[in-house]
Amino acid sequence: MLFELEDVTKTYGKVTALSSLTVAMPTGAIGLLGPNGAGKTTMIRTLLGLIRIDRGRGRVLGLDIARQQLDVRQAAGFVPEDECLFPGMVGVDFVAYAGELCGMGPRDAIQRAHEVLDYVGLSEARYRKAETYSTGMKQRLKLAAAIVHDPKLLILDEPTNGMDPQGREELLAMARDLAHAKGMSLLFSSHLLPDVEAVCDYVMVLGGGRLLASGRIDDLKQASERQFDVRVKRHPEQLASALAQAGILVHLGEDSLGLELPPGLSLTHVWQAARRAGVQIRSLRPQRSTLEQVFLEALKLGSRSPRDVPDANL
Amino acid sequence: MPIFDQGYQHWTGRLASHGARWWAITRQGLRTQLRNRHTKYLVVSAWVPALILAAFLALWGLLEQKSAVLEPFMFLFQWLPEPIKQGPKAYRTTIWTIAFHWFLWIEVGVAMLLVLLVGSDLISQDLRFNAIPLYLSRPMRRLDYFAGKLGVIAAFLAAVMVVPVLLAYTIGVAFSLDLTVIPDTGRILLGAVLYGLLVALVCGLVMLALSSLSRNSRLVAMMWAGLWLISGMISQSVGSSLRHQDQRRPWEIISFTHNLHRVRQALLDTEAAHRQLQDLLTQAQKAAEAAASGELPGGLSSLPPPSQPRGPLARLFRPRRPPTHPELTQRIRSSAVEQNETLRNLLVSPYPWTWSAAVLGGLSLASIGVLSTRVRSLDRLK
Repeated sequence: MLFELEDVTKTYGKVTALSSLTVAMPTGAIGLLGPNGAGKTTMIRTLLGLIRIDRGRGRVLGLDIARQQLDVRQAAGFVPEDECLFPGMVGVDFVAYAGELCGMGPRDAIQRAHEVLDYVGLSEARYRKAETYSTGMKQRLKLAAAIVHDPKLLILDEPTNGMDPQGREELLAMARDLAHAKGMSLLFSSHLLPDVEAVCDYVMVLGGGRLLASGRIDDLKQASERQFDVRVKRHPEQLASALAQAGILVHLGEDSLGLELPPGLSLTHVWQAARRAGVQIRSLRPQRSTLEQVFLEALKLGSRSPRDVPDANL
Repeated sequence: MPIFDQGYQHWTGRLASHGARWWAITRQGLRTQLRNRHTKYLVVSAWVPALILAAFLALWGLLEQKSAVLEPFMFLFQWLPEPIKQGPKAYRTTIWTIAFHWFLWIEVGVAMLLVLLVGSDLISQDLRFNAIPLYLSRPMRRLDYFAGKLGVIAAFLAAVMVVPVLLAYTIGVAFSLDLTVIPDTGRILLGAVLYGLLVALVCGLVMLALSSLSRNSRLVAMMWAGLWLISGMISQSVGSSLRHQDQRRPWEIISFTHNLHRVRQALLDTEAAHRQLQDLLTQAQKAAEAAASGELPGGLSSLPPPSQPRGPLARLFRPRRPPTHPELTQRIRSSAVEQNETLRNLLVSPYPWTWSAAVLGGLSLASIGVLSTRVRSLDRLK
């Protein structure tokens, strides 16, 4: 397991940041979703051993978060959401310093800093003061500083905030590469569902400090029993007309039809309509819910009282 | 487009243990501060008094041996009272104490400037650029962070206070060619080194606390200057108005640097040096009075001849030209009183050194409190 939390509760005064959170996620790329105040940052800090939890226990990469905090942070790299810099340093010194803080020797650190700056695409700017970098460059710099010591787990907190589309694409490509080609596990916290979907295999949704949903993204995006996508060889409008006459709701797309079966009707009625219209169906498959739907469904479920939620794992 | 794009490579090097993480911060701080030429000039100039101290101790060693090498330089010692010239070994501890005392007195001034230069942006810039989360999300504790930052100040202060003391002492011992110098003066070495470390610790903690109070380094520098200079000025002005009301001069504890000086007096035991010098001066006074009244066959010629000494020790041992009768006795008495007062002000404070130690300890504790509240852990709501 990449990390396991068991009955973790953390409160700040009257605010409950994490409420009896129990979750176990396997190694791989994990998306962390949740609205503002859901407890994402607190959970990340808990995993890094930066906060003292009120109750519960947890392990990250097999290390106890209460007793082996330094070892956890040694094995993890963290890219914080906020703009934060070591002052007065050029890019390469910045990354080398981050390496030295993890215990690398100065010579190793500087050599490795050059390597990772090449990787994140800052090789041309390595001798510029970090304060003069653009927002996107600073994000890349923080990523370089987080991976300089080759962590097993990389935690990215809103890494694409404030980035232009091209920079965002490049950063996502790097995250994907690290997770899928370099064997680095990823915890990717973001509000942007397409970013999570583009990078992650697993997702967990937090709300009000509780786990609302978790699992493989492909599994969570359930196949619908009443909604289908249909592709035809030609004349989709004839099929649409025949389906409408049969009482089936139809959405005519550019090259396909979306249809929704009302109660009492089945796929047999679709085939019959196609025969009547003289249209050849090339494919017919159930529609799958999007990650956004999964997310909204989880939040809806979470807005009920905890006792009403039968099982957090969707 | 690179010809050969390596992509991401795994790293398999060795990492240092957690215990030495603070050193990475200190090392980086030293690198950064040494890029500042003002800091470099100040450190180099701080070594001038150290060279003078080392030269003095070397010459003193030669004087103890009555070395022929010293003959061309004997004019430097003509101003010394005759008993010292006759048996310098008996005054070794006293003279070394005073020499180290003066050296450290000067170096405290340099240290204050140095702390102002290197310490004001240590934490304030981290707060300004929000670097604290970057530090604390690494495998290090807040204590490592503080120790690393304190290490920067301590390293600079050790370079101008502790290292010169060790080198000058070694040179002094080497030139004395006498192993008894170690038991005679070992306490001075210990006291001086302890004092250097104490200054580094107290000044470091106070400066770090000030640095954590603002994101503006200039403001921090002004706060430090205020603590150093204004507290001294307030102490002086209070002292000038209350000088005759309380012989213990308790107002001196208002001054930050005076508290450091008072602790130094205790660590070096300058009071003992004062007593010995006072005895010497009293003897010289009696001899002069006896000569003036015609009791001494050699008259005032047995006292040290007049000379034009220079340097900090000169005022202490400045010989007086033999005056002529009838104002002779009065003048001898008044000059002895003046010398004794100067010595007492330099080497002895009338209030207990523990008061100053308590003030410095309190400042250090307050600084730790400020640091722990200003540089907070990440265990809080965002």
